[in-house]
Amino acid sequence: MEKIPWKIEPIIRLNDVTIGYNVKEPLVEIPNLEIFPGEIVAIAGPSGVGKSTLLKTIVGLIRPISGSIEVCGKFFRDRPDRGELGYVPQGLGLVRHASVLHNVMLGADAGHNTPIPFIGVFRPSLLLSWLLKKKTAKKKAIQAINSMGLEEKISEPIRRLSGGQQRRVATARTLAQCPKLIIADEFLSELDEKTIDMVLGEVTKYVRSSNAALLVVEHDITRAKMMADRLLVIDDGRINPFITEPTALEVKI
Amino acid sequence: MNFFHKISRPSWLGICILIFLFSIIVFNGMINDWGRASQGLGNLITFFNESLWPPDWSVLEPQAYPVCTVYPNFMDFTCSTAWIGMVETIKIAFVSTVFGTILSIPLSLLAARNLNQSWVSYSSRFILAGFRSLPSLIWAIFFVILVGFGPLAGVLAMTVYTVGYLGKLQYEAIEGMAKIPLDASEAMGLTKFETALKVVIPESANDLISQAIFMFEYNFRHGTVIGIVGAGGIGYYINLYLKFLQYDKVIAYLIIIFVVVLIIDFISIKARSYFTEEIDLPRSTWKSIFLPSFLN
Ligand SMILES: Nc1ncnc2c1ncn2[C@@H]1O[C@H](COP(=O)(O)OP(=O)(O)O)[C@@H](O)[C@H]1O
Ligand SMILES: [Mg+2]
Repeated sequence: MEKIPWKIEPIIRLNDVTIGYNVKEPLVEIPNLEIFPGEIVAIAGPSGVGKSTLLKTIVGLIRPISGSIEVCGKFFRDRPDRGELGYVPQGLGLVRHASVLHNVMLGADAGHNTPIPFIGVFRPSLLLSWLLKKKTAKKKAIQAINSMGLEEKISEPIRRLSGGQQRRVATARTLAQCPKLIIADEFLSELDEKTIDMVLGEVTKYVRSSNAALLVVEHDITRAKMMADRLLVIDDGRINPFITEPTALEVKI
Repeated sequence: MNFFHKISRPSWLGICILIFLFSIIVFNGMINDWGRASQGLGNLITFFNESLWPPDWSVLEPQAYPVCTVYPNFMDFTCSTAWIGMVETIKIAFVSTVFGTILSIPLSLLAARNLNQSWVSYSSRFILAGFRSLPSLIWAIFFVILVGFGPLAGVLAMTVYTVGYLGKLQYEAIEGMAKIPLDASEAMGLTKFETALKVVIPESANDLISQAIFMFEYNFRHGTVIGIVGAGGIGYYINLYLKFLQYDKVIAYLIIIFVVVLIIDFISIKARSYFTEEIDLPRSTWKSIFLPSFLN
């Protein structure tokens, strides 16, 4: 495909994609979908329709039945570069026996640090730059934990937190990563109204200020309309990108 | 359709009875002289009264040579063969459990199917199965031939078996962990090594620690046996006195082993209860360990 220098490339591009766990039982068809930097897109639909499956396919954990999926310039089987993609799974995927900081550091390390090559242990310059990056990562992690209002729980193991607190840890892990693209599966459930405002505010602020994209599954349609620039509804096994309500957020250029 | 559904309940009972009858026929075929078996109990009573009982507790007294120089005097039982042999058995079990755990962790990480491609995990499983295929007693014979009598052969034998056995327990624990943390690390782009170190090991740490403690207990019990082939520990003395037909000393050793096994089992259960899934639950008590659960 020819690249025009001034044209903004989408972060996610799907063409004629069919998804599902079994070739004989496709769950959803997506004729065409492009998501651009700085955009917030929400997916809604009845439960069991395949929303989580669609996100997993875009993340690259499941092979699409057919069609092409491009994420951060990479096609299926090639992974986006380290730290470019942040994923908040519906099941969170936290290390239950480790502390909040340990979990958030996973994201921070992915985004701001690369593991030191073994030979680096003997090279002071490499070791020094690794230590500096580790320090940046730790700063980002602590910032993210504070922004999710978890500063008091920082060294608490995950299994002692409530469901809502765990969800915020997973969000903090992704924010600490500073990814180009956040894919979040129901990251607002189990939270009370005040906390939703806080979490949503922080994530929106991040997306707008660093020109990242956010693709989120949200079962609550009113909330989805409120937060997103575009709302996609999965209906009858087909993605329906036509319900787009202008929102306050969309007033940006 | 499931196999279990095809056969009705009564025929299951029939199959069980048939298997039992078959085992009786096989057993009967192996025994050519039932008369000897019927004399067994009488033999046991005679044997027990004449040479087994009472136990000869002189095994707890200091040996004649080398001369015991331990002070204060009431500590001189530490010069006895029972004490020396038992301490050596515990040392062999401890050292080989630590070495075996260190070696088995990387192998089990490679063997886990949820972390690796199948050719990697099957090669690692093959190695682990090879180490496990011989019991530690046979490994002990093998290493006694290689490096001679003594605790070194015992440590090598137990280490090899520990790697095989503990490695299997560990990769099963690792495969039992939830898939979502692995998905999340893959999405973030963490390397295999980082994922193993920062996600897999912390997530299954409780299982890994409790299995290593179980392995120490297991190695201690088996360490009492490997001395019989000359690989160090208390088994050496048991074998010695068996050869000299001093059964009253042998029974004293067996009673000592029984007591120490009970103590180590208790410590092991107690220690492992700190590493079970819900750490915040109340710890196990003496009563809950030694009494069946319905009596608690
Ligand atoms: N690992 C799996 N293997 C096979 N089928 C699955 C798997 N996970 C979910 N499904 C099925 O796929 C369908 C869509 O699930 P999911 O994407 O989780 O729905 P939701 O829209 O509620 O997120 C459901 O019918 C579910 O039973
Ligand atoms: Mg879902």
